[in-house]
Amino acid sequence: MSTGRAGSRGIAVLAPALLALVISGCSAAPAAPSSPPVPAPSASVAPIAPPPTPAVDVPTVDASLANQKPVGAAPSSIQIPSLNIDMAVESAGLDAVGSMALPANPDIASWYRFGPAPGADGATVIAAHVDSLRYGLGPFARLAGAPAGTEITVLAADGVEHRYALESVQSAGKPEVPWATVFDRTGAPRLTLVTCGGEFNYTTRQYQSNIIVTAVPVK
Amino acid sequence: MRKIFSIGIAAGALIALVGVTPATAAEGDAKLSVFHGVPGLTVDVYVDGALTLDNFEPGALAGPLELAPGTYSVAITAADAADASSPAIGPVDLALESGMDYTAVAHLDAAGQPTATLFTNDTSTLAAGEGRLTVRHVAAAPAVDVLAGGTAVITNLENPAESLLTLPTATISASVAATGTTDPVIGPADVNVAEGVNTIVYAWGSLTDNNLALGLQTITGLHSSPGSIPAGEAGLAATNQPVDPAAFWLGGSTLVLLLGVVVAATLRARRTAAQKAN
Repeated sequence: MSTGRAGSRGIAVLAPALLALVISGCSAAPAAPSSPPVPAPSASVAPIAPPPTPAVDVPTVDASLANQKPVGAAPSSIQIPSLNIDMAVESAGLDAVGSMALPANPDIASWYRFGPAPGADGATVIAAHVDSLRYGLGPFARLAGAPAGTEITVLAADGVEHRYALESVQSAGKPEVPWATVFDRTGAPRLTLVTCGGEFNYTTRQYQSNIIVTAVPVK
Repeated sequence: MRKIFSIGIAAGALIALVGVTPATAAEGDAKLSVFHGVPGLTVDVYVDGALTLDNFEPGALAGPLELAPGTYSVAITAADAADASSPAIGPVDLALESGMDYTAVAHLDAAGQPTATLFTNDTSTLAAGEGRLTVRHVAAAPAVDVLAGGTAVITNLENPAESLLTLPTATISASVAATGTTDPVIGPADVNVAEGVNTIVYAWGSLTDNNLALGLQTITGLHSSPGSIPAGEAGLAATNQPVDPAAFWLGGSTLVLLLGVVVAATLRARRTAAQKAN
């Protein structure tokens, strides 16, 4: 009795359809040993054969225009209270040589308008000059020493406040800055702030590094 | 007896599963998406005899599947078919090349008969600020023009042809009209031509059945990134500022002192010279 129960439990873990096959197979038991074990007895079980199911789950979406991703709202200002930073943010593209075009005034930040808007997947990039011969030292000069956890708020043109916490401050030597990573459009939404820093070449009048701040959304 | 038989069936099921499991995605794989543009017909899609898309609805887009380069046989059956033996469309052989991106489209031909077309998607990199718009005519309809904001930007597009445009990033008001006319048979509808994206629009359905529609597929990641961010020019935040202010003023005063000595010496020399002359 107990062994019989164990045997039926063993069968019961198989799919119900398979169990049905086994039971129907019982009535044809005398023929079973002589038939090859691999092919399913399709002729005898045709009425109860389950419809085939795909081997892989292929992602499928409704392709109608209604499912287009909305265009995100541009950032209009950025605040970092602990660094005494409160700057307007303009939208910027590229200059004539393919660099991100920033206004000369280091008090004005720029959002890379071809990349993700705040809240969208990928890195929202906001950059500003660290200094200027005309305007002097800018607010982003204070980013280099900011600790992890520093609160950052980006206000978007649609009135939504996006809050972030600073995760890391990195200095990248200029020829090797991984720009494809800085301007990444995939992955979780995040904020990337960029300015200049490190050593200055007094001959070419250029900083040798970019300061790259990464911040993650705060719920 | 029962035990032996059930093992035999389980083994058979296992072999069947292994047989239809696709190769794991690898470098050099081709990407294949499938768009269903035959109105009123829910289908199953079989790839090399294996059911791959179950109950695939009109207007839906599936994929991309990552497939090793090679030729695949695709058959499209009624949704309740037991296998691929009596397809409604195909089987068609699709030759997929390494690293390429394709969309197989089940659609009506210009006369309204179900057919399938394999399109190759343009995944070349776009310049900053630009998007790509691909329009594919897969509807039972004569040649059409595609209008953006009421102006024809693509003319005389015939089933099953496509036309590609590179545009500055914008949301365009798109409509489709019989070629040479401006009276829309589809739209106008807003299409977001996003930066760094190939936005593929399918005009599908049937003009005579009055069910023409637009379908959308997007291929992202075709953007280019800025080459640099020059964000400083004065050295005021530099970590290698060379001149200590105190040293500067000390150096300056030394210079003044030296100048003073030189001037004094010169004056003395002149005075001496003058005295000698006298």
